[in-house]
Amino acid sequence: MAAVEKLSFDVLVVGGGIAGIETAINLGNNGLNVLLVEKDLTLGGKMIMLSKVFPTLDCGACITTPKISEVARHPNVTIFTNTVIKSIKKQDMHYFKSLLVRNPRYVIESACTGCQLCEMACPVVVPDQYQYEMVGRKAAYIPFSIACPRVAAIDIEHCTLCGACERVCPPKCIDFTQEPIEFQVIIKAVIIATGFNLFDPAQIKRFQYGQAKNIITAMQMERLLAPTRPYNHVLRPGDGKIPDKIAYVLCVGSRDRTVNNPICSQICCMYSIKQAQLLMGALPMADVTIYYINIRSYGKGFEEFYEQAKGMGVNFIKGKVGTISEKENGSLILRYEDICTGKLKEAEHDLVVLSAGVLANQDATGFFSDDRWEKDEFHFARQNDLFFNPALSSIEGVFLAGTTYGPMDIPDTILSAGAASMEAIRYIKQMALKI
Amino acid sequence: MSKKIGVYICRCGCNISDYVDVEKVRASAEKEADVVLAKTMVFACADSSQKEIINDIQNGVINSFVIASCSPKLHLPTFQAVAERAGLNKYEYVHANIREQASWAHSDDKEGATAKAVQLVRAAIAKVRFATAIEPIEIQTQQAVLVIGAGVAGMKAATSLAKMGVKVYLIEKEHFIGGRVAQWDVLCLTEETGKDLVTRFYNDVVMDKDITLFTGAELIESSGSKGNFKVKIKITPRYIKDFCEKEKMRRAIEVCPVEVIDDFNFSITKRKAIYHNFPSQYPLVAVIDMKNCTRCGKCEKECDKIDFSQKEKIIEIDVGSILVATGFDPYTPRKGEFGYEEYDNVITLPQFKRLVAINDKELKWNGRQVKTIAYIYCVGSRQLEGENKYCSRYCCSTTICAAIKAGEKFHDLSHFHFTRGIRTYGKQEMFFYEASKQGQVFLQSFEDEPPRVMRKNDRTIVCINDILTNRREIEVDADLVVLVTGMVPRSHGRISEILKLPRGRDRFFNEIHMKLRPVETVIDGVTIAGACQGPQNVVEAINSALSAAIKSYSFVSRDTLQVEPIVAEIDAGLCTWCGACAKACPFDAVTQINLEGKEIASVNMTVCKGCGMCLPVCPVNAIQLKTFSDDEVEKMIGVLAQEL
Amino acid sequence: MVKKNNARILVFSTEKISDPAIDMAGLLKLYYPSKVYTIAVPCSSAIKPRWILHAFNQGFDGVFIAADGSDCPYGESCTAKTGILVKQTHELMKEKNINPARLKMAAICSVCSESFVKHMKSFNEALQKGK
Repeated sequence: MAAVEKLSFDVLVVGGGIAGIETAINLGNNGLNVLLVEKDLTLGGKMIMLSKVFPTLDCGACITTPKISEVARHPNVTIFTNTVIKSIKKQDMHYFKSLLVRNPRYVIESACTGCQLCEMACPVVVPDQYQYEMVGRKAAYIPFSIACPRVAAIDIEHCTLCGACERVCPPKCIDFTQEPIEFQVIIKAVIIATGFNLFDPAQIKRFQYGQAKNIITAMQMERLLAPTRPYNHVLRPGDGKIPDKIAYVLCVGSRDRTVNNPICSQICCMYSIKQAQLLMGALPMADVTIYYINIRSYGKGFEEFYEQAKGMGVNFIKGKVGTISEKENGSLILRYEDICTGKLKEAEHDLVVLSAGVLANQDATGFFSDDRWEKDEFHFARQNDLFFNPALSSIEGVFLAGTTYGPMDIPDTILSAGAASMEAIRYIKQMALKI
Repeated sequence: MSKKIGVYICRCGCNISDYVDVEKVRASAEKEADVVLAKTMVFACADSSQKEIINDIQNGVINSFVIASCSPKLHLPTFQAVAERAGLNKYEYVHANIREQASWAHSDDKEGATAKAVQLVRAAIAKVRFATAIEPIEIQTQQAVLVIGAGVAGMKAATSLAKMGVKVYLIEKEHFIGGRVAQWDVLCLTEETGKDLVTRFYNDVVMDKDITLFTGAELIESSGSKGNFKVKIKITPRYIKDFCEKEKMRRAIEVCPVEVIDDFNFSITKRKAIYHNFPSQYPLVAVIDMKNCTRCGKCEKECDKIDFSQKEKIIEIDVGSILVATGFDPYTPRKGEFGYEEYDNVITLPQFKRLVAINDKELKWNGRQVKTIAYIYCVGSRQLEGENKYCSRYCCSTTICAAIKAGEKFHDLSHFHFTRGIRTYGKQEMFFYEASKQGQVFLQSFEDEPPRVMRKNDRTIVCINDILTNRREIEVDADLVVLVTGMVPRSHGRISEILKLPRGRDRFFNEIHMKLRPVETVIDGVTIAGACQGPQNVVEAINSALSAAIKSYSFVSRDTLQVEPIVAEIDAGLCTWCGACAKACPFDAVTQINLEGKEIASVNMTVCKGCGMCLPVCPVNAIQLKTFSDDEVEKMIGVLAQEL
Repeated sequence: MVKKNNARILVFSTEKISDPAIDMAGLLKLYYPSKVYTIAVPCSSAIKPRWILHAFNQGFDGVFIAADGSDCPYGESCTAKTGILVKQTHELMKEKNINPARLKMAAICSVCSESFVKHMKSFNEALQKGK
């Protein structure tokens, strides 16, 4: 590993999703120097993967890309992608020291023009994690068309070192000699915006996810509906048929003590209703049924959005789905308890979408060893002073933005990022006065 | 320099290209005179597309451009910044809205949508041919912010701004601060009471020398805009001087013979005409309610600090930004709505919460002990008809929480929740779980078959066809019926008219864009925070307050601010000074000057807001508004009229 | 085809009030005839009568002013001022033998999308009959 590079900034923002981006822009606009660190190859987090966002039906990319563009060219913001945090330690009253490791892309970032010739030349095909494994990608690849930076990377784990990419690259920017670079960063404040993880429905065996071919997660449906979609149409993955009876199963991995996640994920009702509306547009002949326990359309404009979906003809069945089984033709039988009659019923659908819940991303636990990083009983970051200062973590100088401290939708995430920014600026100002 | 126009047509993923034949639009744009380049893009707003446009400019291919994409309300600033980064002036770019006003508006008519997009782009090209660089106007800013409403959101915003070194004027219409949270005894998710929380905020407010707090204060006038608002505040006096001894005050209140309904307790109790809300409401000085005071003078005899000579004051302040945090009102049910004001044991959720707070040992209503409580949800929310179609967001959690806390305080209560489907979103789900575990009963109906409240033998019965038990008819004989009333916007007085703040369909104040600019309003320099924007709980309100504070701060953090140079211009040759424009101008931006012996009108560029009200009144057509000149508008009209 | 006969309508909208409502009509897919073209100006009292006359000269069948009404961010006088300019333009139209019914005005608030669409549909019908 090369020698440790030393850097200093005002604020370290961990996480390059919408919360981290929004925070970095806010801080940068107010004259603070920011280091924005993202472990993935690209900024954008989960939001950039979304088709449209509720309740305004703006396309996710249309909201995210300009913000990404703004942060990417912000004079006060430095961005490290493909970079992981090793540790964050409080040095004294005023400073934190963080160790980061920037992993190699095996591509010289400044030289790559994003021409994608390497991608075409690469002979290795692996499942594309950015399309939630519904299609393949190459080992030399650009994550997706609106990635930022829009620069190639080599997936060294799968690369066969055949050299095909090297030979075709016009600016000769493929570099297999790159090594991880370690950085030591001194900062005054930290923002944790590491986002959330999605529940893996394979954990619930009776839903057959991963077994039956035509059961997908809502995030996969999100990709099928997105402008940068894999098949350019909504198709069921099993046989490429256009589905005409689609079911949504809500609360998959949420409000469920059997998987140790008793809380509500706050977004699944709404994203499912949104997808149902989009499906009604994309497949006018299709029936869309949503199996729910309670519909939680609680936010501004949400109830109206729910009513709109009902008006468009989306079926809502208050029912708990017990099991899903696959028929020979790939269609699926849902056994569910119809709550309104108390009876067990069965229904056949040709595509089932599981609305998977939100789980805490616990990456930050590993950052802090000396300081007291506290979590709540659901493993989300604990807010030290819930009502008075919602953005403050259990460590002074470390602030929280977005789903780091609990499930929330995008509007709330943006507001929480505003709150974290304001608190961080105020904290740094006050620290400066004390010196 | 001749125009070299670039035209960029956004597919917006497929939002535009699914309904508009973008290739056709591109081909037609390309044929227009002066257009040297026309391209389609997957996302014009994406970084790579922005770079492409910048390259085209910097390589000298184009020197002005048209973006045809979504509504300019979303990304006009994005592309103006592109122009500037490339070294152009931002007014050398013109926008055509082919998404909201073509592809989406006419997705039932692809041919029509395409034809319209073609025309809109041609019109934008016609306009950009006239585009010239316009330099921004710099104005001095007032480094102060007016915060309206001293509830938790307003106080949090005020203290945050003050800590950034900004002067803050915090005004509260009531004589006591704390807003709605001061009225809540228990808060969900914490042991802290509303009063405790308000006390903490208040201490921060009074300790900060940069915050001036006015209570009994109302905004009555506002002029100017971003950077420079002049506001007038009317302050109603307390009629009591500061530093009044506690004991004397207690006696003064005791002797007051006037009793009126106490709004603080949502009219379940009475108060005197001289009052405070509860013994430690802030500021600690009591107040005399002049509307009800009979001037009997009894209080004066007990307390020497009472001063009937205090006068209403109107003060003027200059601020650079206004942050509105006026909060909400609980919905008031109509007479007869679920028995409200018909049966004496039907009360609202806020009343119930006060009742729990002020009762000590036993829960009593009208002197009778309460054992069985029925809660009817979604009263005034999620209505099929009328304006209250929205969900009030906080009621499910707050009601269940109140029921749990009431159960802890008073024993042997039975709770029956008549719901429309419980919405304890996020971690609040744990309240629902906890209450269910305690044996509280949850019933449900859909919107078309709400529960019914009726009287049987002097008892109040709530009846429901419960969908959770196969629509079984269930009757609950309730000692107390609590109507879970939602949030409606607070009756703001005239604030929304004075500031011209638009409201949404739900009548709450509207932000520009929920995700892009969630705390800004269309009125530059005015931000919104907390429940005045829509139902929110305390944490959400504090987050929005902090977001609004950082936005307001951006308007006042520097001593100058650039404002739009879209101003009116007088043609000195044509103007013969008649004064019509000066009369039409709502901002007094037009004055009469003498130019080389000729009396003409002159526009003060830093005062002109570019509204254009002076344009049509000029009898000699001597006024042009920048970017809306006759040439520009008429050429656009001409192009739009001539379909290809 | 009915569509071919649609009237050509020029709408003057206002940047902060009525244009957002027209945008929202699109967002909510409340369809209206596609030959409705919008030019956004800062305020409805900024519209010069000569622009309206120019529109008729150039071949527009109708002009619709989506006025700020009482929501105008520039002042209460907007409603009255827009009213005056419409009246003046109506006079000028009579002089030039243009049917005054071809110029319409209505206040469109920032969320009045449905009302806008209704106006467009009925104005389109009225203009088609007048053709």
